[in-house]
Amino acid sequence: MSALGGGSAGGEGINPAASLVALVIVLASVGIAYALYPAALIPLIGVIIGGMLISFGVHFVPVGGAPAAMGQAPGIATGVAMLAAGGGLAGLFGGAWAAEMGLWVALGAGAVGGGLLMAITCLMVNVVYVYSMGIPAASGKVDKDPITGDTYDGYRSQGTEGHGLPFISYVGGVIGGTLAGLGGTLIYLELLAVYEEALPTVLGMTPEGMSTLAVSLAGIFAVGMFLVAAVLTAYNITGTIEGPHDPKFKRWPRAVIGSSAACAACGLVAILLVVI
Amino acid sequence: MSVKIEASEGGMDHNTMLGIGLIGALVCIYLVYLNTLMSTEVFAFFGGIAAIIALWWGTDSIKNLCSYGLGTGVPSAGMIALGSGVVAMLFATKLAGINPLLVPVGCVVVAAILGAILGFISDKVLNMNIPVMTRMIAELTVVGSLTMLGFTAMVAGTFSFGDLITSTTSVLGVELASYASSVIGGCVLATIFMLGAIAIQHPFNACLGPNESWDRTQMCAIECGALSMIGVAVMSLAFLSLPAVVISFVISIILWGWSYSELIKLSKRDAFAWLDSQPIREVGGEQ
Repeated sequence: MSALGGGSAGGEGINPAASLVALVIVLASVGIAYALYPAALIPLIGVIIGGMLISFGVHFVPVGGAPAAMGQAPGIATGVAMLAAGGGLAGLFGGAWAAEMGLWVALGAGAVGGGLLMAITCLMVNVVYVYSMGIPAASGKVDKDPITGDTYDGYRSQGTEGHGLPFISYVGGVIGGTLAGLGGTLIYLELLAVYEEALPTVLGMTPEGMSTLAVSLAGIFAVGMFLVAAVLTAYNITGTIEGPHDPKFKRWPRAVIGSSAACAACGLVAILLVVI
Repeated sequence: MSVKIEASEGGMDHNTMLGIGLIGALVCIYLVYLNTLMSTEVFAFFGGIAAIIALWWGTDSIKNLCSYGLGTGVPSAGMIALGSGVVAMLFATKLAGINPLLVPVGCVVVAAILGAILGFISDKVLNMNIPVMTRMIAELTVVGSLTMLGFTAMVAGTFSFGDLITSTTSVLGVELASYASSVIGGCVLATIFMLGAIAIQHPFNACLGPNESWDRTQMCAIECGALSMIGVAVMSLAFLSLPAVVISFVISIILWGWSYSELIKLSKRDAFAWLDSQPIREVGGEQ
């Protein structure tokens, strides 16, 4: 559903030459970071992995867009970027709150935060669909739910691509929110570690005042990189996706390659902040 | 490859808008530096004007990009612009350690490099195959970073990293340096981020359609920018002296009032022909 009604772009398949260039960008960023500030090597790799997790996770989220709002396509009735921002940022805030309790607790809190937001969103979306719009959940892409085995054929209205939020899409949404929250939290924690270590020496300030500064710098960078990775994934999906059973789901490798390069470049700039 | 749909005919050439937007925004951000030269804070409002000029240009870039089917709606372009713009802008403020005058130019250069990488990824790696994509994403990243830098300069009266992370609070008459109540430490940046993102997403998203016209969309961009500028002026109360805040606030209110009344006029102009519209009659329908 393009804004102006133009056909949406996005061909199938991977562009080998461009993917190679993307990998070169990743390696070059890691190399530059290692040459200029060796301690930032592991954090930058963490940022790149975080970007890949966000990008992979967003493919699971059932995005319906405007057609879903009219009950003509399955999924949640808004765009990819908005949903990813909601799920991922909820995860990021959850993880940031638990940052003092160690890496694994924080990552777990981030994942649960993102998954919880998507679970609540999917539940309320179905409540609205079923009880206010009066439409049953039916997938347009498969005739049988891969998990429950429910058949959708008899419930799908004519002239639609399915409607409502089928069970498999719900499961996909929760998995997607979990992965995106995990990725966002990982980016935040890695950047926080870099800033907490480097800022006192770079700026010559006391550790007491520094923690708020490190938190807000890492936070705003994590939000920025999260949106970059999520929007690139949205461009890869081009509009709507039903969840892990949708044929478009098979496009994820190129979004993961693209997001890793994007997060490597952005992460490098964010880390160079403490070098210059 | 997707097909281009002409959004609106006429209007200013995009390259001209790029020139005006880039130079205008840079000049206005440099004018904020008068604060440091003359030890005052009253020139902070130029930051907001720089942001409005950048948004005016960015709206046309979004229009160019979204003339091709993106598939995800207009706001996503604004999100990627601000998301990458804030990374470039924060890096650029750190250049003030070398020379403060490097900041605005460095911001444009770093943002253009980042944007070119992101544009290449979306165009080639993700197989979007939209001819203008690399250029427009690069432009939008520059617009995002200039908007952030402009609003940040407006809220703090300066754009060097050292001043953005410290603020002095007076406790019982003793001046204390504090990091937590500074522009970056207090994370005022997050609010500026959303104010800028809303201002760049909204204009074309609101005005697109069959009777979209260039001047109305651009006036909507100025109106959104001025509305965000009012918010930034209110936030600057925490960092600037009262006269500077009052000047910023009055200028943003005047700008917003003017642009809003112009927008309403243009909207009425574009809407008048539709007042008498009849229901669409289907010829040979099932009546």
